[in-house]
Amino acid sequence: MISIYLDKESWLHRLPAGVKLLVVAVVSIVLFQLDSVWVFLGGLAGVFALYASLGKDGLARLSVIRGLLMFFGIVLVLHWLSGTFFEGIVVVMRLTILFLAANLISITTRMDDMMEALMPLFKPLQWFGVQPRRFALGVTLVLRFAPHLMQIFAILREAYQARTGSRNSWRLLAPFAIHALRMSDNVAEALKARGGSAGLSR
Amino acid sequence: MALWPKKKNRKPERVCDPDADTFAVFDGVGVTLGQRTVLEDLTLSLKEARIGVIGLNGSGKSTFVRLLNGLRTPDKGNLTLFGAPAADAEPELPRHVGFVFQNPDHQAIFPTVEEEIAFGLTQLGAGKEESRKEARAFLELHGCLELAESPIAELSEGQKQLVCILSVLVMEPELLILDEPMTSLDALAVRRIYGKLMSLPQKIVMISHDLTHFENFDRVIWLEGGRVRLDGPPQQVLAAYRNDIEEKSGTKMELAAL
Repeated sequence: MISIYLDKESWLHRLPAGVKLLVVAVVSIVLFQLDSVWVFLGGLAGVFALYASLGKDGLARLSVIRGLLMFFGIVLVLHWLSGTFFEGIVVVMRLTILFLAANLISITTRMDDMMEALMPLFKPLQWFGVQPRRFALGVTLVLRFAPHLMQIFAILREAYQARTGSRNSWRLLAPFAIHALRMSDNVAEALKARGGSAGLSR
Repeated sequence: MALWPKKKNRKPERVCDPDADTFAVFDGVGVTLGQRTVLEDLTLSLKEARIGVIGLNGSGKSTFVRLLNGLRTPDKGNLTLFGAPAADAEPELPRHVGFVFQNPDHQAIFPTVEEEIAFGLTQLGAGKEESRKEARAFLELHGCLELAESPIAELSEGQKQLVCILSVLVMEPELLILDEPMTSLDALAVRRIYGKLMSLPQKIVMISHDLTHFENFDRVIWLEGGRVRLDGPPQQVLAAYRNDIEEKSGTKMELAAL
């Protein structure tokens, strides 16, 4: 199992999960109202400073952005082609800030705290007879298994490369989907064996 | 999950008797998966403290043990678990029956050991702080307190499986089911986990391909093609199983029969 949680003590770890989620939500809304490069530069500096406040391990986690570089490249090229290169840069800066801020929550928040903070959002579902805990648990499961799915894809790619010599192919998509379904079956079974998503306290 | 689930009428009273000496009674039980018959005509009762389940791949072992905690339900015959019909007992079974899977990566949901252990306690209705405290106490009791804050991802395979076993034990089940729990472990981890398991007060039903694990068990059940081929004390059943494998492998290699 892979997890993205950063195992250490910091002021960001101690901050309640609800506060962190709220701050990121507010920041996202504000950022989408603005398009000043100076504000975004300040925002980027701010996010970097937050990672730096977690120490060396924190700064190392900035590397998650690598996964988005290709996507950013595409955005920039599209904007450049339509003659709005400058706006493209603004979009990329905005996304970078938001992505890094959201990732900061994942690496500094324990899963059960996150679940508890999310629970009130799903409260209205109670009126329809759906337990909010189920949805909160669903969100945690997504966060927990996203990196695991990437690992499965890497294994499939290795197996493919070992026999064909090429690394990527659309042919990997179908087996990947099957593996993902199988895995979710197994996880669901393990969860059910411990009382299921709604718990046993009824 | 249904978009609009019906409110189930849950009976407030418990139907399971966790202290039942005979925890499972199979009466002509059969399970089918689509067109395929996975288990057929099983009639036996289980009460021994250490029960081993053996058989070749596809013989129905996994389905058999999944009947014991409600992960599968019989399509034919009657199954009684802890004194109650399986269908009535199902919602209560996770309290009484712990299940350890082959792959810890599919069982551990939370990123840190302490959270994983605490999850079982919140499942039983404990609050967050209470369950964290109890989880730490439980880890200390089992000599693993130093693992509490560790990300499960960074543990060895043996440690991961130990955490999975503890996360099930913390719910204090009466019966522990293990579906090939040691298949992916190295020899040292196998020995440690096995020693741990044998020291437990819980009754155990275990699947394993390592027959030496069952030498001191009370009973071994050999499944073949979804039926009980032999059922009895380990000396007798293990010897017969070994002979059968010798015979089958001695005849000409038939890959298609694997």
